[in-house]
Amino acid sequence: MSTFNELKNNPRLKKVYEERLQILHLIRNFFWSQDFVEAETPIALRLPGQEPYLNPIPVDFIDPYQVSHKFYLRTSPEYSLKKLLAAGWQRVFEISKCFRNVESFGGTHNPEFTMIEWYRAPGTYWDFMDDAENLFKFIGKKLNVEKLKYRVFQIDYLNDWDRISVKDLWKKYLQVNLDDYLSVEQMKKLVQENGFAVDMKDSYEDLFYKLFLNKIETSLGIDRPIFIYDYPAQMCSLSKLCENDNRYAQRAELYIGGLELANGFGELTDPKVQKFNLEKDRSLREQLGKEIWPVDEDLITALDSGISSAGGIALGVDRMVVLFTGARDINEVIFQSVADQIN
Amino acid sequence: MASTSDVRKGVVIKHQNDLYVVVEFQHINPGKGSAFVRTRMKSLANGKVIEITYKTSETIDIVSVLFQNMQYLYKNGDKYVFMDMSSYEQVEMDGDLVGNDAKFLKDGLGVVVGLYEERPVNIQLPKKIQYKVVEAPPAVRGDSASGNVTKEIKLDNGLLVHAPIFIKEGEEILVNTETGEYSARA
Repeated sequence: MSTFNELKNNPRLKKVYEERLQILHLIRNFFWSQDFVEAETPIALRLPGQEPYLNPIPVDFIDPYQVSHKFYLRTSPEYSLKKLLAAGWQRVFEISKCFRNVESFGGTHNPEFTMIEWYRAPGTYWDFMDDAENLFKFIGKKLNVEKLKYRVFQIDYLNDWDRISVKDLWKKYLQVNLDDYLSVEQMKKLVQENGFAVDMKDSYEDLFYKLFLNKIETSLGIDRPIFIYDYPAQMCSLSKLCENDNRYAQRAELYIGGLELANGFGELTDPKVQKFNLEKDRSLREQLGKEIWPVDEDLITALDSGISSAGGIALGVDRMVVLFTGARDINEVIFQSVADQIN
Repeated sequence: MASTSDVRKGVVIKHQNDLYVVVEFQHINPGKGSAFVRTRMKSLANGKVIEITYKTSETIDIVSVLFQNMQYLYKNGDKYVFMDMSSYEQVEMDGDLVGNDAKFLKDGLGVVVGLYEERPVNIQLPKKIQYKVVEAPPAVRGDSASGNVTKEIKLDNGLLVHAPIFIKEGEEILVNTETGEYSARA
């Protein structure tokens, strides 16, 4: 809860909000000092992302002739920033307000939230893992924060962070070789063997997450932050395949204190493969009964015009503020969250 | 059978033949994937807390719980006694199940009690509760200058909270039960 009244009367929440504003300022300082430029791209998009499980919020723009044009609030600035790479920018970042419908009003979600997303071209996913680590250390040193805090965890982030491949992670927590569980049928078996329910309709991703969320996620990054990387290729529409093993793709996620902070890719820059993947996601949206719209051809054309290797990542700023301030809930770091306005 | 959309704080779930009351739940969307519900629940048998994450729409065995408006009366040993004001019937709830909420209880407080087979299994507190300040050290000149903008005060049920230095003994204040912190003057 962070309303005018709480900020006025509760010094703890006031300090949390002051630190939030400082963190935003420090994020900008960090990226400008690393030769990035701050981009500004549209919040409302005619053709938003095709992620099968996200729900963009529709808005109508009405022109003076009373003709209505349907747009959607962005779930991420990803496509727009990639178009800027195609236009020739090499290092861009954007602190963006993003929107996702049908998510919790509080806890670790708010339908309106803030993301810091950045791209390097040329660049790899190893680059943004370094950037993220340096960003946290830069902010923490300026704010004099020795440990990040989440729930009962105190996380040492000022020393080297961990990095582990998803395959090694499954070996460590489930004692299996993920190579043997890359099909829906095999994964179903593994989920059942571990005592969890399987539904006929479960996709590979659903099954993967049933095990991941119950057996792995809550222990990730509780001593120090951890990047997990190289996901099964079927879970990565926007990533490039791994060079040494094309069953996996260059996707990485950051976890701190069991909380998911960021998701990034060694970017897929092949226009044909990208179009194929997005069309596949679109038909999955259709099967799931979600609202659909065409694939953004302008993105495909942009990729076709040529982007060198690129790496990009989106990191949740609200969750980052929770970690730096030790706030208990995302609603404590957002002024007038959706829940605050409804209740 | 119920599904994850019926999961709320206070509902009772049958999991592997044992009964658990939900103490916390959280919708999560891992890596832009489909939605899951992470549920922390307390065993009705031994008070142990477990965490299970269900896929949204997964079938869950939720047993029926009756939610009743009641008043808190008093503590009896390690049990808490509540009364249904319409029937004047009294119920006793285990301290284990009241948990951390116990510190907010005060004589006559209205709460919602969840009953499973007539046994109280959880309570829901109002978002804000009004208390009378019974002890508040006077503000000292120079407090704000030295950065002491709050002080610890004692409320009429024994609860200690930090409040702004201008709060005096005898005043009525509101406490936010989500954070356990001072909210405003009543």
